[in-house]
Amino acid sequence: MTVADRVREPRQTTSPPVQPRPRRVGPPLVMSAPAMAFFAFFAIVPLVGVVILSFTTWDGLGTPTWAGTANWAGVLSDPVTQHAIRLSVILTVASWLVQCPTSLLLGVFMAGRQRYRAVYSVLFFLPLLFSAAAVGIAYKSLLDPNFGLGTALGIDWLNKDWLGDPSLSMPTLVFVIAWCFIPFHSLLYQAAARQIPPSLYEAATLDGAGRTATFFHITLPQLKNTIVTSSTLMIVGSLTYFDLIFVMTNGGPGNATRVLPLDMYLRGFRSYDMGGAAVVGVLLVVVGLAVSFLLNRLGGSSRMDSQMDGL
Amino acid sequence: MRGNKRLAAIGAAASAAALVLSGCGGTDPGSGGEDATAWVLTGGSEATFRSSFESWNSDNADREIKTDWFGNDAYKEKIRTAVGSGSAPTFIFNWAGGSLADYVGNDDVVDLTERTKELQDRIVPSVLESGMIDGKLYAVPNNNAQPVILFTNNKVLEGAGIDGAPTTFDELLDDVAKLKRAGVDTPIALAGQSQWPELMWIQYLADRVGGPETFNAVINGEPDAWSSPEMLKALGMITQLVDAGAFGDKFGSVVADANADAALLHTGKSGMLLQGAWTYSNFLTDAPGFAESGDLGFANFPSVAGGKGDPANIVGNPANFWSVSAKASKEQQDTAMDYLNDAMYDEEYVDTLIENGGVPVTVGAEQKLADSEQAPFLTFAYDMVKNAPNFQLSWDQALPASQGQALLTNLSQLFLGQKTPEEFAKAMNDAS
Amino acid sequence: MRARTQRPNVVGGLVGTLWLVVTLVPIYYIVVTSVRPRADYFTSNPLSIPAEPTLTAYREVLAADFTKYLVNSVVVTVATVAVTVALSLMAAYVIVHNRSALSRRAFEVLLLGIAIPIQATIVPVYYLIVRLGLYDTLWALILPSIAFAIPISVLILVNFVRDIPRELFESMRLDGASEWSLLWRLVTPMTMPAIITVAIYDALNVWNAFLFPLILTQSADKRVLPLSLWTFQGSFTVNVPAILAAVVLSVLPLLVVYAIGRRFLVSGMTAGFSK
Repeated sequence: MTVADRVREPRQTTSPPVQPRPRRVGPPLVMSAPAMAFFAFFAIVPLVGVVILSFTTWDGLGTPTWAGTANWAGVLSDPVTQHAIRLSVILTVASWLVQCPTSLLLGVFMAGRQRYRAVYSVLFFLPLLFSAAAVGIAYKSLLDPNFGLGTALGIDWLNKDWLGDPSLSMPTLVFVIAWCFIPFHSLLYQAAARQIPPSLYEAATLDGAGRTATFFHITLPQLKNTIVTSSTLMIVGSLTYFDLIFVMTNGGPGNATRVLPLDMYLRGFRSYDMGGAAVVGVLLVVVGLAVSFLLNRLGGSSRMDSQMDGL
Repeated sequence: MRGNKRLAAIGAAASAAALVLSGCGGTDPGSGGEDATAWVLTGGSEATFRSSFESWNSDNADREIKTDWFGNDAYKEKIRTAVGSGSAPTFIFNWAGGSLADYVGNDDVVDLTERTKELQDRIVPSVLESGMIDGKLYAVPNNNAQPVILFTNNKVLEGAGIDGAPTTFDELLDDVAKLKRAGVDTPIALAGQSQWPELMWIQYLADRVGGPETFNAVINGEPDAWSSPEMLKALGMITQLVDAGAFGDKFGSVVADANADAALLHTGKSGMLLQGAWTYSNFLTDAPGFAESGDLGFANFPSVAGGKGDPANIVGNPANFWSVSAKASKEQQDTAMDYLNDAMYDEEYVDTLIENGGVPVTVGAEQKLADSEQAPFLTFAYDMVKNAPNFQLSWDQALPASQGQALLTNLSQLFLGQKTPEEFAKAMNDAS
Repeated sequence: MRARTQRPNVVGGLVGTLWLVVTLVPIYYIVVTSVRPRADYFTSNPLSIPAEPTLTAYREVLAADFTKYLVNSVVVTVATVAVTVALSLMAAYVIVHNRSALSRRAFEVLLLGIAIPIQATIVPVYYLIVRLGLYDTLWALILPSIAFAIPISVLILVNFVRDIPRELFESMRLDGASEWSLLWRLVTPMTMPAIITVAIYDALNVWNAFLFPLILTQSADKRVLPLSLWTFQGSFTVNVPAILAAVVLSVLPLLVVYAIGRRFLVSGMTAGFSK
């Protein structure tokens, strides 16, 4: 990234950066105060609030009353929530298995310089412009067993009750979610793949490596950091994803798609058990933090090493 | 210089924050402005509500009632948070029952007993009772009586060799088999995605098998009320229907708010539909040809051999109700009271209800019903309500919210074959 | 990656083309159905081009207060992004250049914030907003959105502010510039590409947000676009062309932005993640 054009007083130096003599400490802390205040008030306080609420009983109408650990015992032993945890895990694993390889392949594919690939990447990006509500509503109609895609193509197999059959609804969701997010992750891979120095590939070709070998021995390792980042986003995102599932199935049919975030919402805003909803909320936060932390550790140690080492 | 600049910036940030936090720039959430407000449901009695509010607004330009329209499910989604946040509309649409009791318990609605005497004289007493909690009136009916009726597409039934609606449960099972043989994949239309239409089945079956006591045990909080032999038998009958393929295999996606279940009936894809009386109005709007052709049939729910319940008992909603928000301003409440006393169930109101296929819950409506174009259906529905020894309120409205929600979910699992009657009973007992 | 070999990448091409079809068919369906006459919806082949395409559905949607929802979305997005970017830049500057332990703590806290699922806090945020008297106002959407957008924005900006050579700061300080003027005259211009990408990333998230509007607003005149789509389902029940026309209209503003600023939009979405 060139720096030259941006500065108003162009004074360039070629000497390596030097630790500034402590003439001044730097910008005053108070400059970051508004940002911290906002974050503290609307994010940290509610976070503490969720924990506190999980120990109260509140039906949304009156005021919360203290309930001790009753909610925790109740919710954690409730088969519905246990099922929700299972579903969330299934959704996450399935999403990762579907989205990761596909985005990787697509990203690497789009990194190529052929003209038509540029056209493809313009079109690939389109799903990202749709809000979850838009996608959910459109797909509900497209997957309608009576008037949807199956009727269109005359393929009766496509006329299944995709969203209404408990055994089909989850796979269908995995597909639609993948439709929404593969474009994003493939962009990450595309950007990363573009940064792989051609010299590596040249060296490989000189050694007589074929396309597959190149892919597995050069491309994949170079994309390691991106894989970690993308997977972190994918996993945390899948565990906490709400919008699309709400619009498409609302947790149903029965409880077939009632993943944790849905369970939280339904407890709070349909059963009016805000305390119970808060318990699930705390679960979500803990899981989100734990997963981020774990994944960071897994891939983090190599974060500081440049992919360019040794070149 | 720099110190001043810094202070100035902080000052600016602080005052911006103060401005923001004082809610400046947003509307006052409490009373929502000067006009009285009403959240009204689309579908069903929509035409009546629209014409009534329109004529009120044109006669009372200084005290208009501002309306916001919602689909059934979207409404249920928002109303509770609205009431809980103190921003409820002046007119709160409700079904009485458990949620009304919650509102009353939290002082969210106004006692209407004294201020709506004029209106009360016009209403059938038994319906008025539904809006009472502890002897005081908190909700007044606003539309038609809504018993649950078995609608039929007589053309489809004839095509399968069936002569009219079944009168016993065994006949029903028989008819389902006949329809399937005749190639009707979805003998009985059911809006499984919306979940609450499934209640109608268990409500009737439980009543037919064991009488009102079966459900009253649940309401009264008796332990293991859901595992009573009568309840289990009724649940088993549902499983019987499901196993016989009575509802087809696509009911999980059918949405009631989109009138999709009614569509299955009037497009000839199904032979029967168990739904509330309001569906008749929907037929009039969506498929007038079908409604008026005589192919649309309506009947009471079949009886069950050896059942304790009176076959003339009905389930459904006595009506829908208006309550008045206690958080509304004095002017808004006054407008509301005047509207309730003057405009509700006046001539025009009753006429519009009848025209659109609804039975008004007013005294002395028989003659009008007999004279109307929709006489066959209306007199049928009216007699059904008049002669019913017991009118059970829809279970999800009768029960407190958390149980109601658990009921809907578990019932939907029963229909989907994911739970057996015993598992359903256990889950519901645990949730009570 | 220059295509050194002349052998076409068959597998890649196949996957790519397949995905292209998968991507485009639903979009095609949406557009085609939105111009289909309502009566034909139940009878004609869903993927066919309608014999008599009509814009009736669009007219119905626009008549149903669509522009108001659009304006609400714009107001919420612009306000949120403007404040977020300003505050995040200030915080990023402090984090990179202020050597105290407190500023390091602040950064760590913010990093944690990225992992917090916003859905989990919805109940207390609801409670908070109601107590503040902001329920059912656009502020109810703006304020929490700012708070939740700050962590990722700060992270991205920190990465870029870090790259500004220290000598530049020194030289300006030698000339007697205050910290605020350094922020304005040095940091801002030099991180402009990052600022733009952060703005776009935040804008996209806020524009398409659904849960907060669902819980924190209720009146029709406070509705934003994604929420309006959901409620259209209730008022347009059987009118699928109208529902899909609403979907198309909701995407159009973003499509326009995409057409104009594609490169920024794309880099915005990957900002900070690729570093």
